[in-house]
Amino acid sequence: MKGHKLLWVVCLAVAMAFAVAACGGDDEGGGSGATETTTTKGAKKIDPASMDSAKGEVVYCTGKDTSGAQAQSVKDFNKEFGSQGVTAKLLEFPEAADEQRNQFIQRQRAKSGDCDIFYADVIWTAEFASQKWLYDMTPYVQEREKEFIPATFESVKYEGKFFGVPKQTDAAFIYRRTDKVKEAPATWQELYKVAAANGGMAYQGAAYEGLTVDFLEIAFAAGGEVLSGDGKKSAFNSPENVKALEFMVNGIKDGAADKAVTTYMEEQSRRAFEAGRVNIMRNWPYAYALGNMSKIKGKFEVTPFPKFEGGGTAGILGGHNLVVSAYSKNAGGALKLIDFLTSEKIMAQDAAKFSLAPVLNATYEDAAVKKALPFSAELKEAVAQAKSRPVSPVYTQMSQAIFKNVNAALGGQMEPKAAIEKADGEIAKALETF
Amino acid sequence: MEAATVERAQPRVRTKKKARATRKGTPWWMWVAVVVIVVFCLFPFYWLINISLKTGSDLSSSDLVPPSPSLSNYESIFRNDDFVRALGNSVIVSLVTTVLSLIFGSFCAYALARLRFKGKFFILGAVLSITTFPAIAIAAPIFKLWTDFGLFNTVIGLIIPYITFTLPLAIYILTSFFKEIPKDLEEAALVDGATYFQAFRKVVVPLAAPGLATAGILTFIFAWNEFLLAVTLTSSPNARTVPAAIAFFTGSTQFEQPLGTISAASVVISVPLIVAVLLFQKRIVAGLTAGAVKG
Amino acid sequence: MESASLPAGTEPRRRSRGLSQGRLAALMVSPSMVLIALVAAYPIVYAVWLSLNEYSVRVAGLSRWAGLKNYREALSDYAFWDAFKTTFIFTGASVFLELMIGLAMALAMHAAFRGQGVLRTVVLVPWAVLTVVTAIMWQSIFDPTLGLVNTLLGTDVVWLGSEPEALIVMIIADTWKTAPFMGLLILAGLQVIPDDIYEAAKVDGATAWQRFVRITLPLLKPAILVALIFRTLDALRIFDLPFVLTKGANGTNTLSLISYETFQTNRILGLGSALAVITFVVVMAVSFIYIRFVGGNIRGLAED
Repeated sequence: MKGHKLLWVVCLAVAMAFAVAACGGDDEGGGSGATETTTTKGAKKIDPASMDSAKGEVVYCTGKDTSGAQAQSVKDFNKEFGSQGVTAKLLEFPEAADEQRNQFIQRQRAKSGDCDIFYADVIWTAEFASQKWLYDMTPYVQEREKEFIPATFESVKYEGKFFGVPKQTDAAFIYRRTDKVKEAPATWQELYKVAAANGGMAYQGAAYEGLTVDFLEIAFAAGGEVLSGDGKKSAFNSPENVKALEFMVNGIKDGAADKAVTTYMEEQSRRAFEAGRVNIMRNWPYAYALGNMSKIKGKFEVTPFPKFEGGGTAGILGGHNLVVSAYSKNAGGALKLIDFLTSEKIMAQDAAKFSLAPVLNATYEDAAVKKALPFSAELKEAVAQAKSRPVSPVYTQMSQAIFKNVNAALGGQMEPKAAIEKADGEIAKALETF
Repeated sequence: MEAATVERAQPRVRTKKKARATRKGTPWWMWVAVVVIVVFCLFPFYWLINISLKTGSDLSSSDLVPPSPSLSNYESIFRNDDFVRALGNSVIVSLVTTVLSLIFGSFCAYALARLRFKGKFFILGAVLSITTFPAIAIAAPIFKLWTDFGLFNTVIGLIIPYITFTLPLAIYILTSFFKEIPKDLEEAALVDGATYFQAFRKVVVPLAAPGLATAGILTFIFAWNEFLLAVTLTSSPNARTVPAAIAFFTGSTQFEQPLGTISAASVVISVPLIVAVLLFQKRIVAGLTAGAVKG
Repeated sequence: MESASLPAGTEPRRRSRGLSQGRLAALMVSPSMVLIALVAAYPIVYAVWLSLNEYSVRVAGLSRWAGLKNYREALSDYAFWDAFKTTFIFTGASVFLELMIGLAMALAMHAAFRGQGVLRTVVLVPWAVLTVVTAIMWQSIFDPTLGLVNTLLGTDVVWLGSEPEALIVMIIADTWKTAPFMGLLILAGLQVIPDDIYEAAKVDGATAWQRFVRITLPLLKPAILVALIFRTLDALRIFDLPFVLTKGANGTNTLSLISYETFQTNRILGLGSALAVITFVVVMAVSFIYIRFVGGNIRGLAED
């Protein structure tokens, strides 16, 4: 009897304690109406002077270092500054962009100081800034503003402040085997025909962010849009977008691209191209340097995107910014590493040795860069003209709406028109997210 | 690699025949069934080993035997600090979970099997209802809880939920076992002046050793295997266990297709479990069928 | 050893017994109960609380009461019903296949005395392999570049990139992992059936099929039912396999997975928690239905 009573008392007490805790305040609840324009109010500001006395370890989180540039930069930084007591350490996340984001936000939500710096894709800055996960880098960026290509600041600005430092920009190209396909096609339609006759092409068709980019490159060229001019409504359900998707779906049916492309990301595309299984590829500049280290060295060429018949040309601005975690315990060290990573010396090295598109104006004029990247002039132009993806804290959901439905259409599970309509509905829903 | 040779040798072990006098000779189709079952069970694992021994361009073909087998994938994963730490974390988490789960579970099982008190059905119900819990339902709350308590990305942060999830099975198995033990020995001890707890410790527990072994091995397997909570509650080699580490493996170098190294890592983390399972196979089946077969 | 000569029903006298039964029981049961309260009970309550609120994805720290709005939203979303359908199709197909194949394996192992030792060993290998490794394994078997399956079967399908092929791969992977284990459980049940019953039936002229249906199956019922409930609940909760194989793409989204994607990837905490709670309720409902059949065993455990 006594034991039984004791048990009940304990259980009741425990239950009450937890009930009180659950209904009490917690971090994700209890706030009152903060308006959108001031969500980043009170964000920590970086102090440019802090890098002078920096000490200790700086953890540099990045996606899989497919080019090798990050590892090299970290090595160089440690060589130069190791004696001053500040060291950099590389922490690699998986290759897929979506997974990199997951890894970073998991740490931020846990308020972990695991990552001091994150090599963040340009599409995430708005989201991260709105959640107060980043340092406000304005004091540092303002001093160097003129050095950077203006287009690269679009993705780093949120509510009028700079929440990161541009590190690498990106605009994709068409890679072509010059020994198999002599001339660069002038239109997308011609490109697909040539691909179908020459073993097919590789692009990123898996259900992930990369497919959103590949699709939008064609859709924007065809004249389509994602959001209305004011960014408040979905403009995705348009004849131009349907036309673009039909074009891609027919491409697979006609053999311009193998069905397997619906499982490819950047690395699979690159390997297929390097192994000679395909002779045309759509990929970012990083694959250029790697291609020249493989068996197809010197046998391929890089050209800008062709025109879409009945439309124009378009490219999507990719790239990465360096952001500092609000929970970092070594902001000074982080800033010092960022300063190093965005210095002209490292920029030129990244471009010449690893074919990563630089963000500094001066690098495009560098002789070594011009020599290593014969397409550097086109690259600068492509970057200047590329369109950005919608800048929004709910970009992830919008992207999912696009890539899931486009992937389903490419795989033949949905008609293009139905896929575009469904995506349109999902984008509208995403825009209404609280 | 030992695992490879052990696995490939298995089919040849078939030649050791166990003579049974009571039945007629086995028909030919029985041998076919045996072969089919062996191939069905072992082929996929063999395929994994096959890939783990391939490097470079061999990885793009579907050859069933590696044209130029090499252990370089294994070498590179063992040189990978993060992977080795993940292995260490898995060992720690699994062992501690097993020990604590057995201790707490045997206490609870003894109370249920032997002691008289009200609310047994409620407790048994609460314990068994845990077996039906989808881990997803508690993943987000525990993430928040652990973040507030500073247990995020710690080994303890994983051990606590793991113990809770393995308690039901341990209690179920141990309660059945304790009930099987004749009361006489305990009664004798009690008459001799021992307390209930002493009777538990000195008489019941040694006799229930087989049950403890069964519950122990099943708990170890669960902890080693668990994925959802490992992915949600850990983020770095500090506490990450092998299932999460493998799922986010980036491969050894940027040039190498990660498939080879991921396969090697997969083989390596499977070997301890396979060895454990093979050693304890009788116990495992006995433990899981306890109560089911006897009805 | 002498048995104690206490008359039945007498309570031992309380000499230096230490704690009374009731107190000792409370103490012995408390660590387990505390853990369950902390790790299971409280989080579920908290999850329900989270599901009744909306947490802003745009503005940090902003939330508002939502009542049952998240549930209404979840239950009217085709993505949810898609995942619901997929989860039940997966559960039905894989449990059925595992049962059939497991039964076949058990019968084969029971009859094949000469191979039984090897078989019992070999058959535990799939179960011992981690679920994550199982996913990686089958992913590489169906990899389009390696093309093993397409070569063997002469097909030209992108298995993991198409619907419903991706779900088929998932079912195959799960069946491979669990059918042998089911086989072992059923074998244990088979071995308890005495030979005499079969002999008697043979004498009465029963055919092999009749013996199987009238004797074997009914006597196997307890073993099958227990195996069935554990497998069904596991299948309803499946997460590891689709997460690694396809991340839920191409028609392999399950209840656990959409809940995870909603609260972890999309950071919609309220809706994600609602989805998690719904998953919990679904699983509990199925288990209650089962307990009505197997409940006898559990009561037996609680009896003195």
